[in-house]
Amino acid sequence: MKSDQALIQLNDVSFHYIVEKKKELSVLHHISLNIFPGEYVAIIGHNGSGKSTLSKLFNGILKPSAGDVVVNGWNTKNSQLIRDIRQQVGIVFQNPDNQLIATTVEDDVAFGLENILVPAEEMESRINQALRTVGLTGMNKRAPHHLSGGQKQRLAIAGIIAMKPKCIIFDEATSMLDTYGRKEIVKVMRRLNNDGVALVTVTHYMSEVVEADRVIVIEKGKIITQGTPREVFRQKQLLQSIGLDVPIANHVAEMVHQKYQPFSSNLIDAGEVVEEVKHFTTGGVSV
Amino acid sequence: MTSRFELTRNITIGQYIPTGSVIHQFEASLKLLSFAILVVGIAICSSYTGNLILLAFSIALFGIARIPIHYGISGIKPALPFMIILSLMQLLFYGQAAQGETTLFQFGFILITTSSVQLVIVSAMRFIEIILVSSVLTLSTSTTEMTHGLEHLLKPLKYIKFPVYEFSLIITIAIRFVPTFAMEMEKLMKAQASRGAEFGTGKWWQIVRKTKDTFPLIIPLFSSAMERAEDLILAMESRCYTPGLKRTSYRQYKIALRDFLLLIITTLFSIFIVFYKFTY
Amino acid sequence: MEKGLSVRRIVIAGVLGAIAILLGVSRLGYIPVPTPAGNATIMHVPAIIGGIIEGPIVGLIIGLIFGVSSFLDATVPLFKDPLVSIFPRLFIGVIAFFVYFGFKRFNEYVAIGAAGFVGSMTNTILVLGMAVIRGYFTLSVALGVAIANGIPEAIVALIVTLAIVTSWKKIGGSIKKKSKISEDI
Repeated sequence: MKSDQALIQLNDVSFHYIVEKKKELSVLHHISLNIFPGEYVAIIGHNGSGKSTLSKLFNGILKPSAGDVVVNGWNTKNSQLIRDIRQQVGIVFQNPDNQLIATTVEDDVAFGLENILVPAEEMESRINQALRTVGLTGMNKRAPHHLSGGQKQRLAIAGIIAMKPKCIIFDEATSMLDTYGRKEIVKVMRRLNNDGVALVTVTHYMSEVVEADRVIVIEKGKIITQGTPREVFRQKQLLQSIGLDVPIANHVAEMVHQKYQPFSSNLIDAGEVVEEVKHFTTGGVSV
Repeated sequence: MTSRFELTRNITIGQYIPTGSVIHQFEASLKLLSFAILVVGIAICSSYTGNLILLAFSIALFGIARIPIHYGISGIKPALPFMIILSLMQLLFYGQAAQGETTLFQFGFILITTSSVQLVIVSAMRFIEIILVSSVLTLSTSTTEMTHGLEHLLKPLKYIKFPVYEFSLIITIAIRFVPTFAMEMEKLMKAQASRGAEFGTGKWWQIVRKTKDTFPLIIPLFSSAMERAEDLILAMESRCYTPGLKRTSYRQYKIALRDFLLLIITTLFSIFIVFYKFTY
Repeated sequence: MEKGLSVRRIVIAGVLGAIAILLGVSRLGYIPVPTPAGNATIMHVPAIIGGIIEGPIVGLIIGLIFGVSSFLDATVPLFKDPLVSIFPRLFIGVIAFFVYFGFKRFNEYVAIGAAGFVGSMTNTILVLGMAVIRGYFTLSVALGVAIANGIPEAIVALIVTLAIVTSWKKIGGSIKKKSKISEDI
């Protein structure tokens, strides 16, 4: 369900930090990209590539040093529009604990709603709907410190979903979670995208990257390649040259392909490898 | 040493025991106000009879709230040694300050009069009453209720530009993070090798050494707090929070007639207790 | 100093308030030192730090949180009296701020240390003062405690405040909100 009008536009954006005594540290150079409604985009890059700065430009936490960031037609440099921008584009940060401010689950979700002046009568249903989407139904009265890492992060997501944004940015949102927690979050993200919410995930976990419609690869503040996950993973040498890796499934496929050419090396997840193996063990032909 | 590690995730600002009693059902803001008025009454009332009534009332509160009295007693038990010492001190040294009426005993600088005896007994009773009453308050009101109650209580201050919501937000954040920091502390403490005794020379040097010994715990605790603060700021602003701006409220403020009655009765009771001329 | 409660001030008051409460209810708040009391507390240090880094309003609020927590927690009759446990504590952070502000132009470290010392003495003097006024101590006893316990405690506060504020400023306090994004630096 993609329309032509981009939800988020970065037009020739550059960004530098001012570090001690007016020294400039350039982090992003002339980046232009679009995020369309309903898209699922992954942004990957080595540490220090500029990807974490990028996510904070999307909702105006940082303003570009040059160029413009336009959300829903609104420029992030316009301080009058920042609240509207942030209601449209929510961010889930890395540390689950440090996004929760209230003493109960439902009060925390309510915080965002109160900020954007949702009428009290509407709140309960929006809160419960959000909790349902993240799988925390019935935990309204729980205290945050009684939740697991994955649950805390899902609560943080619920707090944003309740505000009904058009796009949610996941800024390394699974880095501090264990494998189970990570799986929970990826499940929620899939559910959200199916509901039409655009997702931008800044991550280094390949298992998340394969879920996306489009992958953007950042290195030294520039976009060096983008495309579908399959297209991007085909460029193994390029990725490895900047310190990134491909999914394990891809490595396996490549290894098998080396020994047996007909086996496709262009597979990106375990499911596809299994299917490919099935093809060969039942005498079928690979795609 | 085991008590050091009892900072479990169950650390809260006082426990909450939901029994559904009538006291639990009062709206927190007026409950708090009534409590404050009662405490003022307790603090001022200096007669024997008045305090006996207050003591009986404090104990009765546990019954009304359907909270077992042992919760109140466990609040008083640790205080007993201090109470005894304090009473002794007041008895021995306050004869001078509160001279009046019959002298019961005199030896050197020690002067014990009926007034000093009254001061000691009444102080002790007051102390017990305050502990009991505040126990009932914290045991019958959840921290969330209390924070919201405080916020509603302070609402009128909005007219003198007092940032009511911001203030209650600070309290909420503080309460929310106590267990989190407690767990963090517990982890840090467990990771600490046990320390041998430090034998420094000289008292002042010891003070410095002992202080520095705490650094491996204290400094990370504060640093972590600052880091969390930075994250929280981003998270709150990203959810469109701006201090001072108009906002709606999830929790509805419902005062019933009985809440007003509680306030009125408590006020009348306190006034009576303080001003009625009891014979004792 | 900007005016009023910014998000930064709200959050810092909250987390330092949480630490103040935690130090109060756990044994962490006590540092065993060779004084009559056997312990110097650092429970008032969050209020001092709040006053130094974010100003008198934040210092006052943290002091209030510390005072109320002290009141609710008290097992000693002395601190069950709100005039002793709550009222004096309001001033800790405020005075720490003014001391810091006053000495700042001479030397940052001196300013922080002095604020720590004076902030702690404020706590000692005002609490003991109220205790005397309310009849829990005689003046002579209070003076004795103030010197024998208060001064070592103030030295402890000086050291702790200095250590914490300087380590915080080194890490990223000066780069304000960008400190969290410095992964890319």
